[in-house]
Amino acid sequence: MNVKYLLPFVEAAAEVLKAEAQLDVNRGQLSMDKSTYYSEDLTVIISLIGDIVGTVLYSMDSSTAMNISSAILGEKLTELSNLAQSGIAELSNVITGRASVKLSRSGYQSNISPPTLLIGSGGIISTLDLPRLIVPMSGTFGALTVHLALRENLQRSGLSTSQMAVPNAPKLGDAS
Amino acid sequence: MVNVKFLNPFVDAATEVLKAEVDLDVTRGNLSLQKTALTADDITVLLTLVGQVQGVVLYSMSEATALKIIALMMGQDFQEFDNLAQSGIAEMGNVITGRATVKLESVGYHSNISTPTVILGNGVKISTLDFARIVVPLQTGAGDIIVHLALRETQNGNDSSEAINLTVDVPPIK
Repeated sequence: MNVKYLLPFVEAAAEVLKAEAQLDVNRGQLSMDKSTYYSEDLTVIISLIGDIVGTVLYSMDSSTAMNISSAILGEKLTELSNLAQSGIAELSNVITGRASVKLSRSGYQSNISPPTLLIGSGGIISTLDLPRLIVPMSGTFGALTVHLALRENLQRSGLSTSQMAVPNAPKLGDAS
Repeated sequence: MVNVKFLNPFVDAATEVLKAEVDLDVTRGNLSLQKTALTADDITVLLTLVGQVQGVVLYSMSEATALKIIALMMGQDFQEFDNLAQSGIAEMGNVITGRATVKLESVGYHSNISTPTVILGNGVKISTLDFARIVVPLQTGAGDIIVHLALRETQNGNDSSEAINLTVDVPPIK
């Protein structure tokens, strides 16, 4: 995990929250985590594919989600409705899109996937061997945590997974 | 708009990969179309496609099924769903999806796949927002693997961030 991928996301998050929701954000202490992530109330999952590959998670509790989507939509939301979920997903999409534009300016061209929402706390998300750089952000709206599990795509010129052969099945008991 | 023509490459790829990697025969169950958030099974592998076909693919299964598949894949018994098992199941999702994209490519749809993400835990909900999902259960000797395809064709295969245009409300279907 490379810290140089961090700033584009921090800047993008601050800019987008300011522009779309008139909210100011402060960045907290960074940390690195290899263990699994236990989900908060709402988690948005967006993948990057290209020169940089990996997953970005935006995690928040439901009151933060409602505060942010209320500010985006300009009306007070009192439950985590489809509208609120959609607002949060779109916000994450815009932040990630903006960050990927910034990354492409520094030479890393990537596309982003559509957002997937994970609703409900206590689920576990594993990014497998990719460690996560955790960026806490806070403001009057509450706390938003951005998890970056990204790496440079080393296989750009080599075989992509889709070109690899499928290995044959080992027989049970072969290992002993 | 969900496109059923994206279905067969995934079913074929899953059948071939499960046969080659773990020697399991696959029977395809009945298709359904879902729009509401899905309640996650024990183990869900999430991959995304970006390109001329874009969206999310989920492979969902019970822990028992995952452990059986992993045991066959690694050639040793697994009692708990540890990191190695997670990695194996994620890799299976990766290989199936990769193979499906090769098939999609051969009918003229180029796309790239993301790294897999594994979601564990019963009860959390996974929403693909306005992407309706084609749901196809694959019945195997190790148990069912439910494949969810939330895919659509893009106008512009290069710039996914431009192509995404979320509608704001997802009407629940009965």
